[in-house]
Amino acid sequence: MFTKITEYEGITEYKLDANDLKVLLAPRRAAPVVAFMVVYRVGSRNEAVGHTGSTHLLEHMLFKGTPTYNKQNGTQVAAVLQKQGAVFNADTWFDRTRYYEMLPNDQLELAIHLEADRMRNSFIADSDRQSEMTVVRNELERGENDPARILDERVWALAFREHPYHHPTIGWRSDVEGVPTERLKEFYDTYYHPNNATAVLVGDFDEQTALDLIAKHFGGHPRSPQPIPPMYTTEPQQEGEIRFKLRRSGQLGVVEIGWHIPEARHPDTPVLTVLDHVLSAGVTARLYQALVETQLAVDEHASSSQFIDPGLFTIDATLNQGVAHETVEQAIYAVLDQLRTEDVTDAELAKAKNLILTQMIYLRDSPFGVVNAIGEAEAIADWKFYVDLPKQVEAVTAADIRRVINTYFTEDNRTVGYFIPKEEQL
Amino acid sequence: MSNHTFAARTRRFALDNGITLLVLENRVNPTVSLAGYLRAGAFFNPQGKEGLASVTTSMLNKGTAKRSKLEIADALESTGARVGVSSNTFTSSINGQSLSKDLPLIISTLAEELREPTFPAEELEKLKQRIVASIREDLDDTRSRAYERMSQLIFPQHSPFYRISAEALIQQVEQLTADDIRGFHQQYFGAPGMILTLVGDVDADEVRALIERELGSWQGAVAPQIDVAETPLQAAPHREIVAMKDKANCDVILAHASRLRRLNPDYLAAMIANRALGQSTLSSRLGLKVRDEMGLTYGINSSFSESGIADGPFTISVTVAQQNIDLAIDTTLELVREYRTDGIRPDELQDEQSSVTGSFKIGLATNGGMAGQIASAELFGLGVGYLDEYPSLIRALTKDEIDAAIRKYLHPDVMTAVIAGTVD
Repeated sequence: MFTKITEYEGITEYKLDANDLKVLLAPRRAAPVVAFMVVYRVGSRNEAVGHTGSTHLLEHMLFKGTPTYNKQNGTQVAAVLQKQGAVFNADTWFDRTRYYEMLPNDQLELAIHLEADRMRNSFIADSDRQSEMTVVRNELERGENDPARILDERVWALAFREHPYHHPTIGWRSDVEGVPTERLKEFYDTYYHPNNATAVLVGDFDEQTALDLIAKHFGGHPRSPQPIPPMYTTEPQQEGEIRFKLRRSGQLGVVEIGWHIPEARHPDTPVLTVLDHVLSAGVTARLYQALVETQLAVDEHASSSQFIDPGLFTIDATLNQGVAHETVEQAIYAVLDQLRTEDVTDAELAKAKNLILTQMIYLRDSPFGVVNAIGEAEAIADWKFYVDLPKQVEAVTAADIRRVINTYFTEDNRTVGYFIPKEEQL
Repeated sequence: MSNHTFAARTRRFALDNGITLLVLENRVNPTVSLAGYLRAGAFFNPQGKEGLASVTTSMLNKGTAKRSKLEIADALESTGARVGVSSNTFTSSINGQSLSKDLPLIISTLAEELREPTFPAEELEKLKQRIVASIREDLDDTRSRAYERMSQLIFPQHSPFYRISAEALIQQVEQLTADDIRGFHQQYFGAPGMILTLVGDVDADEVRALIERELGSWQGAVAPQIDVAETPLQAAPHREIVAMKDKANCDVILAHASRLRRLNPDYLAAMIANRALGQSTLSSRLGLKVRDEMGLTYGINSSFSESGIADGPFTISVTVAQQNIDLAIDTTLELVREYRTDGIRPDELQDEQSSVTGSFKIGLATNGGMAGQIASAELFGLGVGYLDEYPSLIRALTKDEIDAAIRKYLHPDVMTAVIAGTVD
């Protein structure tokens, strides 16, 4: 029934022979609970103008029911999971859509059955789409209330002109409102197949029983009738700095800068991960010292994105009152410029690595922490990425940091956005 | 069987200076989680000095007699460990996590911060500026503006649940001095009444010796009694708008005084009553109608959000576009009325009972989850054994008990509605 592909660091990979569903099992008997997740390799990356936001809207539609689990017979997806006290949800991001539940281990079959069922049997009814569209529109409006979030969306939208990371996962408002149900159904029928998914199970379970249940419930789904369409759009190299201002009412200014960086699988990913810790993890980090400690800003973040395709390294800071955007922008460059010529200290490097490693140990405290990490790694590269990243981080040197700073953090490669509260004159 | 109970697995030590220490050995992962309480919170802020408890706890790691802020941060960050104290309405929470081998580090850091903080003036100025900035950011947040106004309409000005306006809070925080902080620390921070819970890959006797060594000789303040009068239920409905600019989404809060405290005998019945009504946006009554069927909102929830040592509000929160405000409020109130009339359905009761016991099991699946639950049971005087009894207490609840709680604690006809957002 299953072909065992490999076993690595306590995780076993299988392929369900009937339909190429990828299955990852990570037994962990700390407490009588299990976490189950199905990751589909489809996200807003697979959308284009006219149907931006469709992947996310479709994710909502998968809570609306199947012939087995539905409101009419009192077995709505959310209700049956809630009844078990499950922690459950689904979410959509650039590269993937994932559905998950953590629940008492005597309910493992429920989780597997429900996810297998909605993989192919969801209604996707027009009447449901209409009421759910307005739910999603309210979700979009909630996001619109937050200036820093909108600033971040604009940075991505300007830094990516051709590649679909250009548009936010929630979609453009008129697309969310206008997309026909048939288009969602088409999306469902194109991407929701076992050969485009990975099922991940972590927690206290018997391996053979789990495999039998997965085969029983997922085994009946055939492979996709057509190959899963590849997404082939690439972003050309940025040729010069992009700058913009966003003005609306608000309280504090924000500066955000994004630089193009490579895809998650690239060998520079561990270096960029260490760099993001050197810059912003904790009070002793360089950006905190340069921006917050000096009272230029009230907070700062650095984030090295990890996606299937090349993404952005972003730095943002919320300004203290009365501080000019330019001052903070220049202070950020000063921190980076120092790293162009001087090595980070051994202590800084050791601290960043230690933080990354202990975070990995902490997340093993909970089956959900592990399922989440494996699922995200599957979405952007391969599950081994989760196991190997700490080892690769271990090998990062000060010279690596200097090299990536000089490679990616250039003027021509950056997009700079200012959020300016309307009352304030600049 | 009995050695699998929390009561049997948890060692409880009463230290001479009044600290209660609880330790549960759980050796599956080389980590340890710390949770605990000090009996010092915002309730003790003197008149005109709102924010003092919060600033005091935030200042604890800004310098001690032994080390500077940076030295403390550097030691913790180098090991990936964390430990901190933050203030609540009546208490301050202690939270921490480390690899088991670094437990001595987080305990000595905690002891140093509690016993010998120096509250450096220049750090206080920086902290105040950051707090003021974050209050300013709240001024732009529809949810926090709605909550603030709700608290002022439901609670009298001297109530611990009344929130002064952001402008007034900024003014009071700006005036806090290092002497204020020092005074608050001396008056309210002490070993008597302090609770510390540790769960993880540790040896209970070694933990006890460690805590004795680091905190055993600490005295500090004696925890004062907390005596808060019950807030009466509102007599009539009320509605107010907090006007804000450029907000696509409005936050609506419907509320009244709850008169529910953690130790009320019908607390669990009230909690079940609330869960079936509105705990989950996806599956409770309010969510099924207002979100799932009508598509008016992304989120609708009800909650006894501060039913602990004293009685906070009962709230229903819903986010909505401005053209849907009236429909959302009217529908919500109608659903609560219907719930009051009909009571909980037997199948709903059964589902909630199973849901609570399932989620209790899931919550206890991590060191942090266990440490939190044990500390909370100790704070309310329920004892560790309460965690073992909890599922059967939930299963024993009857429809009559829930219906009585619904009638006693849910009052749709006197709810105050606060709407924060851009409303033409």
